[in-house]
Amino acid sequence: MNTEYAIRIRNLVKRFGDFTAVDNISFDVRRGEIFGFLGANGAGKTTAMRILCGLSRPTSGSGTVAGFDICREQEKIKRNIGYMSQKFSLYPDLTVRENIRLFGGIYGLKDRTIREKTEKMLGMLGIRDAGDRFATDLPLGWKQKLSFCIALIHSPQIIFLDEPTGGVDPETRRRFWESIYDTAGNGTTVFVTTHYMDEAEYCDRVSIMVDGRIDAMDSPAGLKKRFSAGNMDEVFRTVAGRAVREE
Amino acid sequence: MWKYLLEKEFKQFFRDPGLPRMALAFPVLMMLVFPFAVSMDIRNINLAVVDNCMSKESSRLIEKCTSSGYFRLVFHGQSPDEAMRLMDNNKADAIITIMPGFDKETVSGSGFPAGIKVNTVNGTKGSLGSRYILQCVRSYVGERNDALGTAVPPAADISEKYYFNPGMDYKLFMIPALIVIAITMITAFLPALNIVSEKEAGTIEQINVTPVSKTAFIVCKMIPYWAIAFFILTACLVIAWAVFGYVCRGNILWLYIFTVLDIIVMAGLGLLISNYSSNAQQAMFVIWFFAVIFMLMSGIFTPIASMPHWAQYITYLNPMRYFADAMRAVYLKGSTPAELWYDVAGLAALGSVMVGAAVASYRKTE
Repeated sequence: MNTEYAIRIRNLVKRFGDFTAVDNISFDVRRGEIFGFLGANGAGKTTAMRILCGLSRPTSGSGTVAGFDICREQEKIKRNIGYMSQKFSLYPDLTVRENIRLFGGIYGLKDRTIREKTEKMLGMLGIRDAGDRFATDLPLGWKQKLSFCIALIHSPQIIFLDEPTGGVDPETRRRFWESIYDTAGNGTTVFVTTHYMDEAEYCDRVSIMVDGRIDAMDSPAGLKKRFSAGNMDEVFRTVAGRAVREE
Repeated sequence: MWKYLLEKEFKQFFRDPGLPRMALAFPVLMMLVFPFAVSMDIRNINLAVVDNCMSKESSRLIEKCTSSGYFRLVFHGQSPDEAMRLMDNNKADAIITIMPGFDKETVSGSGFPAGIKVNTVNGTKGSLGSRYILQCVRSYVGERNDALGTAVPPAADISEKYYFNPGMDYKLFMIPALIVIAITMITAFLPALNIVSEKEAGTIEQINVTPVSKTAFIVCKMIPYWAIAFFILTACLVIAWAVFGYVCRGNILWLYIFTVLDIIVMAGLGLLISNYSSNAQQAMFVIWFFAVIFMLMSGIFTPIASMPHWAQYITYLNPMRYFADAMRAVYLKGSTPAELWYDVAGLAALGSVMVGAAVASYRKTE
């Protein structure tokens, strides 16, 4: 097991019939890095991410996530990662506490650990009073923070965030990114997709997917220099503008 | 891990606005309403009599029919057109036409000049209706012969004795079958819908990305429905005893054992449906398809032996056929699984195929 890299992917391909969603991508993510995974809608980001999380099998290619093989050791990968999908997917008819308890239990935490973590989490989120509210009744920003905390409940090596801040105001987004920084500061690798280019600036490195391929990958500063752009927004438009595939 | 998943399922079950109430209402409805509603006893057959004789003999025949309790005399007159109009308007189910000279010919034994017309739009009502009329006629002829001391012997003297359900009580016959239908619906179709709705909501993906084993997830999902199935079985047995005084002839334990067998088959089926449906609408359609076929091809409402051969072969694939047969046999006759090995084998075979196929097609990783 290579200790320097949390994720190593080589020649990953995913085809659905004639359609090549992910077209031969290779990349490495270092431990503790915040890796931004950018691309227009339909570029293949979510498909690639689902393979990394063990939700989907690659058509070909190889790689490791948290040191485990993406083709054969999906269940071991799942023990070591957290995943937050772009759609809110906690149980709407369970309360905040019950959701935390369920996922804590699923990852094998003890009852007492779960109780401690729950209180800590509610305090951290500033929603201590909302602990007994149904998850469905929370405002969107809280739902996202809760999903994020639950994805981290078992202290995974890597956390995958699929458009974690879609649809919330800039202030909530900024605070969300503060928690992402804290998490990365604790040594957790963060793999994040986003459509907000200001968020891309916060990443240590970003890759930009176009038509299933990775067309650019570097630190935000490096990319801006290479494309002689003033900000990530320009970089993204230059690179993603090459797309020929329809959304 | 199991503990937390079970806790989740039970909480969700009891929080559902409809499910707990349905679980309670179902056995009550099933036992107190359905046995009457699905009864195939035909009563209140509307009878029209065209009496062209208007004699003492003809009115004796009519009285014989009306006093049987099966008929309601809606017309007694001499106009055949009027009687026919009643039948056309669905006001009469059967017409007896008594010819002039009925009294003389029957008394002399030279003939029986009367005709019967039956409305068979509703086939069951029609055929049972004509049988009842014939019975009445037969008993009328018999009594008259006795009265006259005529030496005409009855054509045949058949005595019938009914075993296991001596009163030919349709309710008693239907109660085990209704339990069968309820258990099948609850253990196959509700969990299927539940799993599909988690797919739709996206929550199943959050579970699939955790190390939860698929067996644990699915079994925990089904356990609440199994609990309801046993609750309904017990409640139905209690209500049948308390309200109608019916008791199971056989060992009640066998009812539970057959229910377990059926649950295994149905769990497999439910899981299969949910594996191949991506939304509730699809699942509902597949469920409806199976539910209708299961019920109509099960022998619950119509005897399998009277189906055409090709249809009988289809029933071999129907788990409800075996389950209904077994439940009726245990409840009405007191049979044991050893005597019902055929049903045990059918359920076991279907169960292994269904569960095998379901487990093989269930994927946490696509």
